[in-house]
Amino acid sequence: MRPEDALRAINEARGEALVVPTMTAVPAWRAIAPDAPGVACVGFMGGASSLGLGLALARPERRVIVLDGDGSLLMQLGSLATVAGAAPANYTHLLFANGVYQTSGSQAIPGAGAIDFAAMAEAAGYAFTARIDTLEELRIRLPELLGVRGPVLAELAVEEAELTPMTAPGGDPLRVQIQRLRERLAEER
Amino acid sequence: MPENERIPAPLIAEALKEAFRAQRTAPPAGGEPLGWVLSVPDTHQRSLIAELEGDADLRLLTCSTEDEANAIAAGLHTGGAEVALMIQHAGLYASVNTLRGVGLDGGAPLFALVGLLSREPDLEPRDSPRSMVRFAGPLMDTFGVPHALLETRADLGLIPEYYALSRERSGPAVVFVGRETA
Repeated sequence: MRPEDALRAINEARGEALVVPTMTAVPAWRAIAPDAPGVACVGFMGGASSLGLGLALARPERRVIVLDGDGSLLMQLGSLATVAGAAPANYTHLLFANGVYQTSGSQAIPGAGAIDFAAMAEAAGYAFTARIDTLEELRIRLPELLGVRGPVLAELAVEEAELTPMTAPGGDPLRVQIQRLRERLAEER
Repeated sequence: MPENERIPAPLIAEALKEAFRAQRTAPPAGGEPLGWVLSVPDTHQRSLIAELEGDADLRLLTCSTEDEANAIAAGLHTGGAEVALMIQHAGLYASVNTLRGVGLDGGAPLFALVGLLSREPDLEPRDSPRSMVRFAGPLMDTFGVPHALLETRADLGLIPEYYALSRERSGPAVVFVGRETA
């Protein structure tokens, strides 16, 4: 499935969720959902799952969606155990698995094509896991992925993205994003 | 330094609570903790970890890496929670890119208690023959991160002071734990 199509489907289903995209999901998400509350993570690869965990723990009443990458997750693979240990019921981890480090030139990730990330998450203790291969299946299952008790991880089999943070830089600096979301969430309390 | 001057863990826990209370605009509600402590277990602070495990006001979360702890702290802060890190100097070295990205560029107020394991009590950390101890302060100086050394009970005020400093400057602040906690 094309990641841009997956992101459009996620945007249609997200409701009031807070969204934490990283790496190749960032430029497309910025274009598709410019007003979605969240923080885009670029510059500390592998950190999205953890930053999203912090948000989910601070705001247990809000669903938090992490738009992660397979290469990114491998850089902080222990976060699967940390997320599972913290057990946030409102946490949905959508893993865009394209098998490559696309931003740096599409080099294959270690173990490309052989790693079962959903099985890894299940073994770590995630409450719900899935592997989704088509856009049609994603559309059907998104309400479940965003509604079931978490932590949830769904591995999405995707093609390479049209844009990367290198080919399409931009967006607000992380400092601005964090401050804006913090103020927005404080106003909502 | 005599053994009896090691700081009892309950006093450090109270200092953390004081730091959190000073920043909160409202008391915790509905099962919310006063604040979070993110730990990658540090030998130097093991008695404090044990103390926090049984503390009803604070929520202790053990993380797999210090990189995670920094990013989780940024998320908790964004969501309006109070949070401190408890790590070891080796973890500080291991997580400098996340400290840079989240703390310096992202402006997340990352406050950390960092244990100086193997620090010689009769030497200033900068004079230690152990690189882990010797370079910790200079590393923070390189990043422009304010830091202080917690040694005795008289230093406990450094915890709320540097916690507040991290919030005021929207960036990291570190209190090095110079002696094993009691």
